[in-house]
Amino acid sequence: MSTADWLLMLHISAAFFLVGGSVAAGVLNVLAIRADRPSEAAQLLGLVRRSLPFIFVGVGGTLVFGIWLWHEKGYGIDSWWIWGSLVLWVAANALGGIGGRHQEKGREEAEKLAAAGDTMTTELRALVRDPRGNAPSYLAGLATIGILVLMIWKPGA
Amino acid sequence: MRPSGWDFPLFLHVFGAMTLFGAALTAFLAAVAAWRSTDSAALRRAVFLSLLVVGVPAYVAMRGGAQWIYSKEGFTGNDDPSWIGIGFGAADGGLVLLLVTIGVAYWWRRSARPLAGRIVTGLSAVYLLVLAIAWLAMSGKWG
Repeated sequence: MSTADWLLMLHISAAFFLVGGSVAAGVLNVLAIRADRPSEAAQLLGLVRRSLPFIFVGVGGTLVFGIWLWHEKGYGIDSWWIWGSLVLWVAANALGGIGGRHQEKGREEAEKLAAAGDTMTTELRALVRDPRGNAPSYLAGLATIGILVLMIWKPGA
Repeated sequence: MRPSGWDFPLFLHVFGAMTLFGAALTAFLAAVAAWRSTDSAALRRAVFLSLLVVGVPAYVAMRGGAQWIYSKEGFTGNDDPSWIGIGFGAADGGLVLLLVTIGVAYWWRRSARPLAGRIVTGLSAVYLLVLAIAWLAMSGKWG
């Protein structure tokens, strides 16, 4: 295998970690929204944190091996599909961070209610279902899909 | 450069495979967490639903995309590169593994028996490993 082959393999592996971890976080968040009891929402939102190491490895690996691959493959500085991917990568990280803070807030509230009788309240339900609070997470997912689209179609390459 | 007609099947294949990995990862994380929990109903449901509702459609996209791009690339089955054989082996053998894991996850969800939980954890870990070998072989073009 050439250096470029190794780098591509590592870059794609990092992408699997990034997308896989994001899917896990998304699935757990959706299940938490539909939970009947605060203790269940707390469990599921708490588990989102276990997916973060996969996302962080993916975030770092896609950037490092991606930029290295850019140099190794000799793509020009005017490769706008790569610049577009970098912009989406930054956006996905920023939005994912904002969405994660909202989920943490929901988890903390759910844990408090779980310890105090474990009865679902309209406030907790509204918090975990809040479209504004969840929108950054969904937009981060769309940005990640956008990166994959640019990486495969390579417009302008 | 690939012909542009190959892009969509490749996207379907790769996105399906990545989502399938995410579904198996969700199942594994929830199964491990359920072991340590005294109230594991929500986690057992998460294991089952992630595999059934996310994993199965993702598998269909991954496998359908694979077959589509395989035919576009003009492979015939004679002297195909090793990475294609590894990919198809992981996909087709993995389907059996995925379906058995879903079946045991359903049993665990209904019965809450610890044995079922241990089996689901083990099977989902093996499935994650199978998927990792497949993506390494295919992205590294082994052989």
